[in-house]
Amino acid sequence: MSDMATEEKDLGLNQDVATEGTPAAVVVNPVSQGGDAQDLKRTGRMTLYVRRFMRRPSAVFGLVVLCILILFALFGAMVCPWKYDEPDFTALAAAPSADHWLGTTIGGSDMYAMIVRGLGRSLLVGIISSTLIMIISAVLGTAIAFFEGVVEKVGMWILDMLLTIPSFLLVAMIVRSSSGTSGWLWLTIGITAFGWIGYARVIRTLTMSLRELDYIRAAKFMGVGSFRIILRHLVPNLGSVLIINTVLGVVSAVNQETALSFLGLGIKAPDTSLGTLLMNGQSSVLTAPWILLFPSAVLILLTFSVQLIGDGLRDAIDPYSRSAGKAE
Amino acid sequence: MIKYIIRRLVNYVIMLFVAISMTYFLASAFMDPRSNYMSRNPRPPEASIDRSLDLANINDKTPVLVRYFNWLKGIVTEWNWGLSPDQEPVAPAVASRISSSVQLVAISTVLSIIIGVSLGVYTAIRQYKWQDRALNAVSTLFLVTPAAVLGLLIVLGAIAINNATGTRIFYVTGLHSYEGGNIGLAILDFLQHIILPTIVLVCIGYVNYHLTQRTYLLDTMNADYVRTARAKGLTLNQAIRKHALRTSLIPTTTNIAFSIASIFTGAVITETVFAINGLGRYFVTTIQDNDINGAVCIAAFSGVCTLAGALLADILAAWLDPRIRLN
Amino acid sequence: MTEPMNTVAAAPANGEQPVLEVRDLRVNFASEAGTVRAVRGVNFDLYRGKTLGIVGESGSGKSVTSMAIMGLLDKNAHVEGSIKFRGDELLTKNDKEMSVLRGDRIAMVFQDPLSALTPVFSIGEQLKEALVIHNPKMTEEQIVSRSIELLKLVGIPNAEERLKSYPHQFSGGMRQRVVIAMAIANNPDIIICDEPTTALDVTIQAQVLEVLQRAQQETGAAVIFITHDLGVIAGIADDIIVMYAGRPVEKADVDTVFHNPVMPYTMGLLGAVPRPDREKSSRLVPIPGAPMNLVNMPKGCPFAPRCPLATDICRQGEPDLLPVEGREGQLAACHRVKEIVDQNLTFSDIYTVGESVKSKFDGIPRERRRTVLDVKHLKKTFPLTAGGFLRRKVGEVHAVDDVTLDVREGETVALVGESGSGKSTTLLEIMEFRQPESGEISVLGKPIAKRMSREDKRELHSNVQYIFQDPMSSLDPRLPIYDILAEPLKVQGLSKQEINDRIRDLMALVELNPDQVDRFPTQFSGGQRQRIAIARALAVNPKLVLLDEPVSALDVSIQAGVINLLEDLQNKLGVAYLFVAHNLSVIRHISNRIAVMYLGRIVELGSNHDVFEEPLHPYTKALLSAVPVPDPQIERTRQRIVLEGELPSPSESFSGCPFAGRCPMFSTLTKEQQARCLGESPELVAKGGAADHMAACHFA
Repeated sequence: MSDMATEEKDLGLNQDVATEGTPAAVVVNPVSQGGDAQDLKRTGRMTLYVRRFMRRPSAVFGLVVLCILILFALFGAMVCPWKYDEPDFTALAAAPSADHWLGTTIGGSDMYAMIVRGLGRSLLVGIISSTLIMIISAVLGTAIAFFEGVVEKVGMWILDMLLTIPSFLLVAMIVRSSSGTSGWLWLTIGITAFGWIGYARVIRTLTMSLRELDYIRAAKFMGVGSFRIILRHLVPNLGSVLIINTVLGVVSAVNQETALSFLGLGIKAPDTSLGTLLMNGQSSVLTAPWILLFPSAVLILLTFSVQLIGDGLRDAIDPYSRSAGKAE
Repeated sequence: MIKYIIRRLVNYVIMLFVAISMTYFLASAFMDPRSNYMSRNPRPPEASIDRSLDLANINDKTPVLVRYFNWLKGIVTEWNWGLSPDQEPVAPAVASRISSSVQLVAISTVLSIIIGVSLGVYTAIRQYKWQDRALNAVSTLFLVTPAAVLGLLIVLGAIAINNATGTRIFYVTGLHSYEGGNIGLAILDFLQHIILPTIVLVCIGYVNYHLTQRTYLLDTMNADYVRTARAKGLTLNQAIRKHALRTSLIPTTTNIAFSIASIFTGAVITETVFAINGLGRYFVTTIQDNDINGAVCIAAFSGVCTLAGALLADILAAWLDPRIRLN
Repeated sequence: MTEPMNTVAAAPANGEQPVLEVRDLRVNFASEAGTVRAVRGVNFDLYRGKTLGIVGESGSGKSVTSMAIMGLLDKNAHVEGSIKFRGDELLTKNDKEMSVLRGDRIAMVFQDPLSALTPVFSIGEQLKEALVIHNPKMTEEQIVSRSIELLKLVGIPNAEERLKSYPHQFSGGMRQRVVIAMAIANNPDIIICDEPTTALDVTIQAQVLEVLQRAQQETGAAVIFITHDLGVIAGIADDIIVMYAGRPVEKADVDTVFHNPVMPYTMGLLGAVPRPDREKSSRLVPIPGAPMNLVNMPKGCPFAPRCPLATDICRQGEPDLLPVEGREGQLAACHRVKEIVDQNLTFSDIYTVGESVKSKFDGIPRERRRTVLDVKHLKKTFPLTAGGFLRRKVGEVHAVDDVTLDVREGETVALVGESGSGKSTTLLEIMEFRQPESGEISVLGKPIAKRMSREDKRELHSNVQYIFQDPMSSLDPRLPIYDILAEPLKVQGLSKQEINDRIRDLMALVELNPDQVDRFPTQFSGGQRQRIAIARALAVNPKLVLLDEPVSALDVSIQAGVINLLEDLQNKLGVAYLFVAHNLSVIRHISNRIAVMYLGRIVELGSNHDVFEEPLHPYTKALLSAVPVPDPQIERTRQRIVLEGELPSPSESFSGCPFAGRCPMFSTLTKEQQARCLGESPELVAKGGAADHMAACHFA
């Protein structure tokens, strides 16, 4: 992960040894010999990442779109006269108009209000569950790998066992009995409860190579406690992977939410989500296509922008990134 | 050698047993078949509800452990996976839907692999060129688009085409509608049905192969042995084709084996959108109907598929890679 | 910048045309920090049958030069100048045109044999490819017979069967032989060897060097031999180019470079290496500072910041590589070359040898010092599992087999041996602080028991510390130096103020600027990082430090400084070292006692002098004779004991002496004696003159 940065900083080191001007034999000043790293012209890790990220137009585009979507979800409802849970019975399945900017559903709910609400729900579920998943999988994945031996064997067996049954089925079972108001919470819990397993396995694999690194062994040899090593050395050094996975995890969480809600197993009325809107839209594909099209567009914008950000981050942190430009 | 495969199989059986039992308890805790009757109008008397539930061994008044052991006994002694709330045996219901799922999924999986792997190789060789960037963008779009959105948009498009041409080129529901005896027409009819869901599944499925194959090939392209091959006199392209590609296909092959598992549950959304009566749709029905036994049965089936895929992946890897070849 | 078209020193008198002419070669790479000028003007001619050595430290541009000749540089490299093969310009050729020459006329041997062969193809297939790509008309029979011939030439036994083997079934040395076989398959005119033996053990290195020389005789090819190892180059090269910061700084025939260098850098480089063939006479002399940053290079001679002779003129403009007046065939790039030649300045005139610190234990004989570490009959076995699929135990590896040794206060005990000899495992086993599988480990008289109180463990951690090989990986890149140094102190439960004071002292102790504690490891050079690692190990005032190859990852000019530091600290603090290294020159310089390990056992144990001057065990003798000496005259005349074969599989068990199968002495013994070698395992007992000089050999 840090190879690239390491290398570059080496090149960036400007070794200015204090040189005495005397032409004949010079006694080597031991202090200057060791401590000669002054005045280095180097590119900081963060600056480097930001610079590389910003060099990707797609990543910047993703960031801008996501920011707009978040603002829309937060404040979009303020500019709309309609509420998502107050249907306008005078306009059922109405096409987009000055009254209802994006039309209404068959039940007469204003699409604009519904989308603002649904987007908020999707974002909420996606971000919370992805973050929780990453925290759980990071701690458990590193611990399983770090303790080796029996812990690792048993831990891996349990992970493999849990992975036998597709998590989608299990999430569906848990979420199905939830009510309309607490639906999003159960969905978040369900996605988290079965979503961390695969990631924990990935992180365990990464930790396996990390645990062989000398600085981890050095900490063990100095008598540093296990949990301290995990929290202070292992997790921070997986940091970039965890950040990237969290960002990309939002996409898959949003996708799961959409799928479950679309099947009628996730968020239910009176609450709404983008997936629920799709389900509503399905029945009226021909008569009222806007019910389907607008939430679809927002969903694609949401997942695509997050994915672009994730890809941009990965490229920025990737040591083999070849986006370095050409030599003169 | 046989001994080791058997040992692994035994481990898998234990794993499966624990996983299925866990699913059973989860399903029993979260699914409420009683509510099926409570919401009926007029509500049936409690005793009759209990009787129906008892028949299917899903009465929440019976302790869950008792139900579990009854259920387990049924499976072990007579391969009886239990009844749905409306007293239908679930195992035959699952079995009857396998064929639809296989028809739907087999074609699209093969196409996904061919398209995905070829694109992976094509774009890896052209890393950071416009072809790579463009195809990556397309794949990323498919990667992030929810299956429901993709399916519905394709339905919308197909209907538009049907309307524009005035003929029914695409069918958007089911797998068959032709009743006659003409084989040619039957095949044509099947194709008219299968093409749309196949497009959806391929769009979703190929992306993974594309992106991973690209990564694997890029990893091996910079390997020292590719440089050695070039030093021997192979051109860059020859060296990549002969040396890097071969090595990079090994992990892809194991991925394909693993994907067997997702075949039967990966099509839930597509089956719903196109009203195909496969396993995925059946699963949704069991959840909606609070069919504990049905849901567990289908979970067990996909568990078997997962482990079969894992075993196959290991065997394939050992077969393809001399470093881990058996013996 | 035009340079005079000087040719390399040894242009043959007969007017032979060079096979390769390199003129003003320049290579730039794009990087995040700016353009890296990796090669900045290289000129040389190469003649058939001659070996040109290119010497330099990492980043000197030597490998980039070779890759430029092969046309194998990355796409982001920008190459200028001219490379002519038999008058044919190579730099204008595209990949396809170059591939006609590559492997046919110009071949290459790479550094890391473990990754140089494609894992999924058999050796036979890969050799065949090398032949067929240039000779498409060869019949299957011809291919097989030529392949077998090649494998035999590079010394691979059972060639016919081995053709079907896959690379992972070969050891590193054997794989390098296969790579060499592929390189000479088409009788090339030029063989480029890029650090071909760096990844190999000394005895294997000796074998591979011999194979390379044989291959050169066989093909009559010109060889470019790239290495950082002055010992290797002294034995193999005819002419030498010394590179620094992307440019040749000195060029001459091998004797001149080693005996009459004029460029201060060359002198420094030669002075900084410890000698394996001489008793330690004085401190090593490090070249101050670290190599130049190749991005935004300041004007002036790139060596000026490190050169004791540098004056203003050196800092103003970069000197050209010019013939040295009065020295035929020698070229140097130095502004002050005239003074150096006129006054006949040598290494000792230019660099000052420092004074070493007097040891705390000076004059106290070994027997009267306290035993810091006592290891008795230590054993460690690993289960051997087969392959990735269906892991199963197929045997046991005796990684450490009955090792007994002790370390006293203030001394350095070295463990030497080839990879797989169990030297590092021995260190790790001690460091586990667990009761060993078998045998006993005592620290300061206290045996390590199965159950130890937290307090006892803590005390152990304060008494024994460890230093790793690679300072890049032994320091957590995410922590500032302060936190890295504070870690062992926190384990010992020191207060914040104590930690603060201690860290300041430590930084001064390892000659680093204490103001830099807020920086991250990546901001330091390799040598500085190893100093930080040393500081961390010494933070808790240990009585014993275990060092696993502490200088082998460092460049020669940096290595000397770290060795000096280790010596000074030992003398000042009285700490004992248990030192593992494969570099016998370093061992010879730094250690008091030496234990030679082979297959997990100690085969010889004795004082530095006894082991190097009067080795008893035939393995020790072979090992010592394989070490290259940085002196071409010695290299030319000395006899090597080249060991046959490879290290046996570690899972093999022996009823007799494990070395018997490779022992050069074995064949000279009588039948009865041989039977004893094979049937009875030799004990490590005192042999030879000194009471503390022991060997495990029946007939030493």
